[in-house]
Amino acid sequence: MSRWVQGVVGLLAAAALAVGVVGWAQYVRQNASSSASNASIVDEKATARVQSAVAQGLEQVLSYTYSDPTTTQAAADRVLTGKAREEYDTLFATLKKEAPGQKLVLTARVTAAGVKQLSDDTASLLVFVDQSARRKGDEQAAVSAAQIAVEARRTGSTWTITGLDPL
Amino acid sequence: MQDQTDGGRVDDDQVDESVQAEEKKPGRVGPTALVGLAVAVVFGVTGGVAWWSATSSDDLSLAQERDAVLVSAKTEIAVLNTLDYRSVAKGLKAWQSASTGTLRDQFAGISTKDQGVLADQKKISKGKVVDAAVLEVDGDSATVLAAVEVTVTDGTDPSAEPVVKRNRFSADLARSGGTWKVANLQQVAVNVS
Repeated sequence: MSRWVQGVVGLLAAAALAVGVVGWAQYVRQNASSSASNASIVDEKATARVQSAVAQGLEQVLSYTYSDPTTTQAAADRVLTGKAREEYDTLFATLKKEAPGQKLVLTARVTAAGVKQLSDDTASLLVFVDQSARRKGDEQAAVSAAQIAVEARRTGSTWTITGLDPL
Repeated sequence: MQDQTDGGRVDDDQVDESVQAEEKKPGRVGPTALVGLAVAVVFGVTGGVAWWSATSSDDLSLAQERDAVLVSAKTEIAVLNTLDYRSVAKGLKAWQSASTGTLRDQFAGISTKDQGVLADQKKISKGKVVDAAVLEVDGDSATVLAAVEVTVTDGTDPSAEPVVKRNRFSADLARSGGTWKVANLQQVAVNVS
């Protein structure tokens, strides 16, 4: 009996090993694919969360009232870090100088935000923003359309914007 | 598998060395071999389950669909922003193969007279999708946002600087015959409120 039992055991083991090797290889391959590592849309809740966090944050930092610059400044402290912060500060410095004389009021509104890439703690988005600017003596606000590529990073439960790239 | 106390005798010299060494009763399937088999079976079963879970994963197929939508949308939106006055018919044909549904019908219905008008404008438009993101995938329909750069060259004045226009689009795509095509393409206008 021993001979064929050994044979059977050997074959079974070989077959099981083969299935295991192929199976795990497929598993690793599929899960390591770029599709699988991007949770955008797939994780509906996380996608919605980063969308609204980035939209809200952008609206706050791109809105500005000459009479109350500290609100925008505070929003920038909360929302922006890294390179995005540096670029914003450069822009903001000029704005702060000219705004009071012009009685400038900027109002930003995000019309659409799509998540390109989403991992556990990083995200990149394409955001469409409308920004209206009203200066002293303006009959009507001038509205401009912008497309911005946004990079965001999550710390705890809050998303902060690390990169802003107008397209 | 086999009773360990079963008195199998040596009837074969091609016995696993380790089994032989351990058991001193060659010809039996010893514990080492059984452990080996068990390990192999566990490895095989878990591998099979992992494989099955990966291929039957809804998340993974949605992720792959999303990426397929993005690839199609980028190419097609670029095509739909491209037209050369010297080859209007060819350009319109490209528009048709990039679109589906009523949008496609509209392109197919552009009359020879209107094609002539397009040709007379003597413009060369070249569309480029600078960035795009999938907003939604739902079965056979999807929505994509795209930032598009259109370079317009005046055909009558080759020395003139091309004009670059930046547009933002929202595109609805529909899956027809396994491929995603643009079903609706709209500029996202500024929202004055």
